[in-house]
Amino acid sequence: MPAARRRRAGATAGLQTSRLVTAHIWVAIAAFAVACLLGVWQMWARSPLTAPYHTAANYFRSVTLHGVSMAFVLTTFFIMGFGYYVAETALKRPLPGLGLAWGAFWLGIVGTLMAALSVISGDASVLYTFYPPLTATPWFYIGLVLVVVASWIWCLIMIFAMRWWRADNPGKPVPLVMFASVANAVMWLWTTLGVAAELLFQVIPAAFGWNGMVDVGLSRTLFSWTLHAIVYFWLFPSYIAFYTMFPRAAGGRLYSDTMGRLAFILFLLYSLPVGLHHLMMDPEHSNGFKFLQVFLTALVSVPTLLTIFTITASAEIAGRMRGGKGLFGWIGALPWDRPMVLATGLAFFMLFWGGGGGLINMSYGMNAMVHNTSWVTAHFHLIFGGTVVIMYQAICYSIWPSLTGRNFADQRPLRVQLWLWFIGMMVMTLPWHWLGLQGQWRRVAAFDYSNPLIHSWGPWVIVSLVGGIVLAFSALLFVYNLAMLHRRGIAGAPAAIEYAQAVHPPERVPSSLNGFGLWNILVALLMLLAYGWPIAQFFVYPPPQAVVHRLG
Amino acid sequence: MAIHEDAILKSELRWAAVVAVIVAIILIAILYAAIAMHVNPPSNREYVDPKTLHLSAEFTEANLGTRVDPNGQIVARVIATQFEFVPNCIVLPAKKDVTIRLTTPDVIHGILVTGTNVNTMIVPGYVAQVHTQFTKTGDLLMPCHEFCGLGHSQMMATVRVVPPEQFRPNADGRVSCGNRS
Amino acid sequence: MAKAPRKRPLKPRDESPAGAPPEQAAIDRPWRIGAAAIVAAGLAAGALIGFVIIPAGQKENAHLSMGHAMARSAGLEAGSPAVPQPVSTATAIPVSTVSWDPAIMNVLASGNTARGAAIAAQTCAACHGDKGLSQSFGPGPVFPSLAGQSPYAIYKQLHDFRSGARVNPQMTAVSQMLQVQDLAAVAAYYSAASKEYAAIGARELLGDAEIEKLANEGDSHRRLPACLACHVNNSGGPIETPVITGQIEAYLVTQLNAFAGGTRTNDVYGRMRDVSKKLTPAERAALARYFQGTL
Repeated sequence: MPAARRRRAGATAGLQTSRLVTAHIWVAIAAFAVACLLGVWQMWARSPLTAPYHTAANYFRSVTLHGVSMAFVLTTFFIMGFGYYVAETALKRPLPGLGLAWGAFWLGIVGTLMAALSVISGDASVLYTFYPPLTATPWFYIGLVLVVVASWIWCLIMIFAMRWWRADNPGKPVPLVMFASVANAVMWLWTTLGVAAELLFQVIPAAFGWNGMVDVGLSRTLFSWTLHAIVYFWLFPSYIAFYTMFPRAAGGRLYSDTMGRLAFILFLLYSLPVGLHHLMMDPEHSNGFKFLQVFLTALVSVPTLLTIFTITASAEIAGRMRGGKGLFGWIGALPWDRPMVLATGLAFFMLFWGGGGGLINMSYGMNAMVHNTSWVTAHFHLIFGGTVVIMYQAICYSIWPSLTGRNFADQRPLRVQLWLWFIGMMVMTLPWHWLGLQGQWRRVAAFDYSNPLIHSWGPWVIVSLVGGIVLAFSALLFVYNLAMLHRRGIAGAPAAIEYAQAVHPPERVPSSLNGFGLWNILVALLMLLAYGWPIAQFFVYPPPQAVVHRLG
Repeated sequence: MAIHEDAILKSELRWAAVVAVIVAIILIAILYAAIAMHVNPPSNREYVDPKTLHLSAEFTEANLGTRVDPNGQIVARVIATQFEFVPNCIVLPAKKDVTIRLTTPDVIHGILVTGTNVNTMIVPGYVAQVHTQFTKTGDLLMPCHEFCGLGHSQMMATVRVVPPEQFRPNADGRVSCGNRS
Repeated sequence: MAKAPRKRPLKPRDESPAGAPPEQAAIDRPWRIGAAAIVAAGLAAGALIGFVIIPAGQKENAHLSMGHAMARSAGLEAGSPAVPQPVSTATAIPVSTVSWDPAIMNVLASGNTARGAAIAAQTCAACHGDKGLSQSFGPGPVFPSLAGQSPYAIYKQLHDFRSGARVNPQMTAVSQMLQVQDLAAVAAYYSAASKEYAAIGARELLGDAEIEKLANEGDSHRRLPACLACHVNNSGGPIETPVITGQIEAYLVTQLNAFAGGTRTNDVYGRMRDVSKKLTPAERAALARYFQGTL
């Protein structure tokens, strides 16, 4: 097929990593599209309307596939792909270990297929949080481990790409976008330690039947180690886009490069020692450690609040440069027709609601009101869909021209897609928040709508279903927009994007803001104090173990 | 760009101070609830062997349900098991201190009681314990809120909150949904 | 873009401040000290509030000494701080004395053994059929099939017959002749046997939409979980639940009625008594018919 070859050759003219990045992100998008459609069916099944194929087994199979696709496949593959793109375009030199990166890609594919087939066969309907003693077929967990191992390879490539660049450019500051991407890689290595220990020492032996008993408290604690920081792993690309792509798209400059570095460092420090706030309603941890981690959770709102200021200030610079006047006039002057600008605005709006909900979840006392209700589901969909996914979409729209060598002929479908995503997300999650406050609990396949209380929820559940349908439509439009660029875009796009410049580009930065040595030591200190005893207690006072319950 | 580097630094520091105040306010609100209103998460590192629950002691089948203990404390003991609560309905009085003690012989469960702040995870190996006071009377729903297997959606119990004068324990100190007067 | 990177040092340059140019190290010192101080101060503040101020502030409500309150908040002592632990003095006779200790689970997991096969041939085959495939299709005494059954289910029922938790004159006698280890061996033998249901006829799928729904979805209104949420192999449900697909119809309906009527009570925590009572007699019969026809 010479024509196809030529097209591909043309497409890869600019970047060495072009095909690598495209492959990763298309895998992410495929998982995302499937997960969106499943999500709509799940809401339909839970609503008062009659859904086809609605059995308990199908429902939990679908929820597991939805969660795993969104939380593990979409995010991991996107972050890997985007990271490689950043490494090449920000450092302006070839990615080290390209062959290794392809190896990691295929390892991730094998893992994804193993996990997906396990779920589809019905042998792994344990949801993506997989809490033993309920255990799935071992192949499900092994598949996920392979995906994680693939992401570790990515982490090492990113870290060494930065170190070697720094060695060749002594004294020069690592570009902010690369610094942030490596911060995410470093954080992810720390993050995955918990779940890796849980899977390797507890869950996989249990799933194989090598041990019939499991220490449930320990497994929950190890998973919580990962459970909060994983969200920041997903969020990092969004913040990277806020700092290094949005200001340029808006036609301005980044207000402060140092603040950007600090924000990413704070994410690295404080997204880890806070996982116990997911176990606030658990009996096995003491109130003192729960409070300590609540306290540290409050600190993780600091980088987000700093970001809001810095990015708003950057937007103001852009607005005023474009002629905006008055206290708020600069807002209207921003180029809202550009997808990156629009997505950032919408993401900030949704982050406001999602973050507000999160503050309630993490409250030492108030959590009891909302724990495991639809409020929580609403919160993390708003954060995930409203800050993570919408920015992934905007990033794709920004980098796709440089990957395909083609420009979008018409930006309208892009804007329509982003607006639909925003509207769908709000329509879906606002009723969920309300229902959660009414006590609607999560993770059920069906409600008894003949109960008067539950009956009164019916209309809101249907409203949220409408939101879900809008989201699915937006997801399909997103796939269409990107796919069409491969064939119908206007040739002649630049080979790489330029990242935003700071108002005062740094000439030299302290070593602490140019690497992670100091911060790794501080993370270790924080983790030792926040998680040391909570984990050690299971060995000092071993609790009775529970019988493993195999599902599949 | 005409903004001086020092001006940027100053504005960022000012904003950082605002952030510090916001975070402090949030923490003070949490602390106030914890100390003045005595709100705590339901921590209870009290072990019980899930494999032998039904054989002896507190959580045998005949011991479950609401009971006024000899010291006057009102305690409902409930087993959460795949896929129902035993008993399926518990009676508790309004406006009195009550304790709900739950545990499970199998997998992780969790409960909330609709319209209240009663909420806890039920982890095999531990007794989950909630202290509360119900303010309103009526039948409240107590569903399992953690995925516990394919029958999870149907796992639900009723908490029947009665006015204190209608809460009449029998000679053994027990009250059940069946013998409510 | 992109020139090939210059020759890399084999060992990447150390990223500690010492390896950086001297002027960078100089501006770095306040950062290192400041950051460490701020992080440590944050940790100390959180720990002070969590381990000291909150337990101290709640002391008068907790009927606890300060030392106890702090030990609890640090996780060194059990219990929640609000109310002392209630102690139950009541006792009761358990419905079943089976518990799942690792030793028995190992025997059950070890699968088919010569010992299990010998006991099965001698003691069980006459009623339960060759290889555990019962032939109770017509009128007359009803024996359940055992082939492909969960080993935990067989073991538990045998143990219950033996202890008297479940009553059946024949089975009580048989099970009392065997040692506990033998019960496990015979359970493991039958669990390894193939169902081969296709070979034994009378396997039509009989069930209307309502019954299929009950089996697969349950009924939220009556708080009835789907039958198949537990009663297949590896459902993730209670470990001792039997597999009921392909089981003899007459056996299933007898047991459902016995649970509902309270004449069979060896189900731990009354799970099946509760479920069976919620089902109408017609549903019990229809479900039994349906499950005989499924695999």
